[in-house]
Amino acid sequence: MRLKIILTLTLIAGLILAWNLRRIFLQVPDEANQGAIFRIIYFHVPAAITSFTGFYIGMFSAVGYLIKKDLRLDSIAASINEVSLAFASITLVTGSIWGRIIWGIWWTWDPRLTSYFVCLLIYFGYFMLRRAIEDPNARARLSAVLSIFACVDIVLVWKSIEWFRTQHPGPVLEIRGGGGMAPGMEAPLWWNFLALVMLAAALILIRTRQEAMKLEIDALRRHAHAF
Amino acid sequence: MSPQNYNFMFYGFTAAWLILILYVISIALREKKLRQELDRVKRMVEEGEQAKH
Amino acid sequence: MKFLRQTLAIAAKDLRSEIRGKEAVNASVSFALVILLLFSFAFDLEPEQIRDIAGGLLWLIFAFAGTLILNRSFARELVNDCLDALLASPVSGAQLFFGKCLANYVLIIIVECVSLPVFAIFYDVRLPQRLALLFLVMLLGTWGITVIGTMFSAMTVNLRLRELMLPTLIYPMLIPALIGAIQLSRVLITGGPLAENFIWFRILVAFNVIFTILALALVEIVLVG
Repeated sequence: MRLKIILTLTLIAGLILAWNLRRIFLQVPDEANQGAIFRIIYFHVPAAITSFTGFYIGMFSAVGYLIKKDLRLDSIAASINEVSLAFASITLVTGSIWGRIIWGIWWTWDPRLTSYFVCLLIYFGYFMLRRAIEDPNARARLSAVLSIFACVDIVLVWKSIEWFRTQHPGPVLEIRGGGGMAPGMEAPLWWNFLALVMLAAALILIRTRQEAMKLEIDALRRHAHAF
Repeated sequence: MSPQNYNFMFYGFTAAWLILILYVISIALREKKLRQELDRVKRMVEEGEQAKH
Repeated sequence: MKFLRQTLAIAAKDLRSEIRGKEAVNASVSFALVILLLFSFAFDLEPEQIRDIAGGLLWLIFAFAGTLILNRSFARELVNDCLDALLASPVSGAQLFFGKCLANYVLIIIVECVSLPVFAIFYDVRLPQRLALLFLVMLLGTWGITVIGTMFSAMTVNLRLRELMLPTLIYPMLIPALIGAIQLSRVLITGGPLAENFIWFRILVAFNVIFTILALALVEIVLVG
C-alpha cells in the first residue's frame, strides 16, 4: 500500500515536472532584464518554499513527539527535516548560480541566501546532534527541543539579516523583475511547487520507513544481547 | 540572450537535479544497508533462540 | 519568591566554585587575549578602519571566549554524579538552568570587562563618550549568548563531542543577537547616529525575551525528560 503511494506520488510529480519543463523552455518568454537565467526561479523558489514549510512541519511533528512520546513522530520529524535540508541545498545552489549571472560572482551575502545558509548550518547541527545520541528517546527529546529553537530562531535570523542589508545595501536576488510577474509566467511556478511537494512527500515516506527500520534493528539488537 | 546566460541556466537546472538525484541515491544506499543489517540481526536473534532451546 | 531564592543559591554555588578554582575565567580571558593578538596579524588597517570593524571584532571575541565558560557550565556537574544529585533535588530544572545562566552571565561579563580595555589599548580605539550605552549593549548581547549557550550546554552535556558541538550549534542561533550587538557597538564606537539604529535594540531585547521564556519552558524536558 505504502509502496503504491510512493510510486504514484513520484510518477505524478515526474509527469508534472516534465510537462512544466516544456512550458518553461518553450512558452515562457525571456524576462526583460535577466534573460534566460530567470527560469531558474522555477526551481529555486519552489524548492525554497518546500524546504521552509518542511522545517516548520518537522517542528510540529517534533512537538507531537514531546506531547505523545510516540517515537514514530520523531521518525517523521527527522525525515521531514532531512528532505527539507536537501531542498534547502538545492535552493542555495540554484540561488548562487542565479547570482553568478546577475552579479557576476558566486556569492554576495544576499539576505535570502544568507538566511538560507544559516538555516542549513542550524540543521546540519541538528543532524550532528542526532548522530551523537544513542538512546532513541533522548535523541527524540533533544532534537525536538532543538528544532523548536531552530524554527523560532530562523524568523529572527531572517528579520535581522534583512535589516542588516537595508542598512548596508548589497545585491538582492529579484524575483519580481520590476513589478509583478506577467500572468503567464507565474503558473509554472506553482505547478513546479506542487510537483516538488509531492516528490518531497514520497521521499519523506521512504525515509520514515527507514527510520522505523532503524528502531526495529535497535530493539532486536537489544533483545539479542539480553540473552 | 547571451550564450553564457543559457549555459548557466542549464548549469542551474543540472545542479538542482544532480543534488536531488544524489540524495535519492544516498537514500537507496541506506535502504540496502538497513535491510542487510535487519536481516543480520534477525538471524542473530533466531540463532539465540535456537541456542537457548 | 522561592523560585528566586533557589535560583540564586544555584548561581552562588557556581560562582563560588568558579572563584575558588578560576579555571574557566582564566582560560577564557587568555583565549580572548590570544584572539586579540591573532587579529593584529590578520589585518593591517588604518585607525579609521579599525574603529569601523571594532564592533564586529569585539563581539567575535566575546562570543568565542564566552563559549569556553558556557561549555563548562553543565559539564562541571558530571564529576561525581553531581548533575544527577541536582536533578533529584527539590530544585526544578528551570531553577537550575536559570541559576547557571546567572552565574555564566556574571562570568562572561567579567571576561568582557577585562577584554574591552585591552582591546581599546591594543587597537588604539578611543572608547566613546557613550560608554554607558556601550555597556548596556554588552549587557543585552551577553544575555542572549548566555541563554542560548547555557541551554545548549544542558543539551550537549552527556555527549562525547560536547566541546566540538556546542560552538557549532550555538553560533548560527546567535546570529540575530550578534548582528544587533555588533551594529550597535559599531555605531557607538564610530560615533554614528543612534536613532536609526534603534531597531537593533528592539531585536536584542526581543531575542532575549523570546529565548529566555522558551528556554525556561523547555529546559525541564532537556534535563529530565
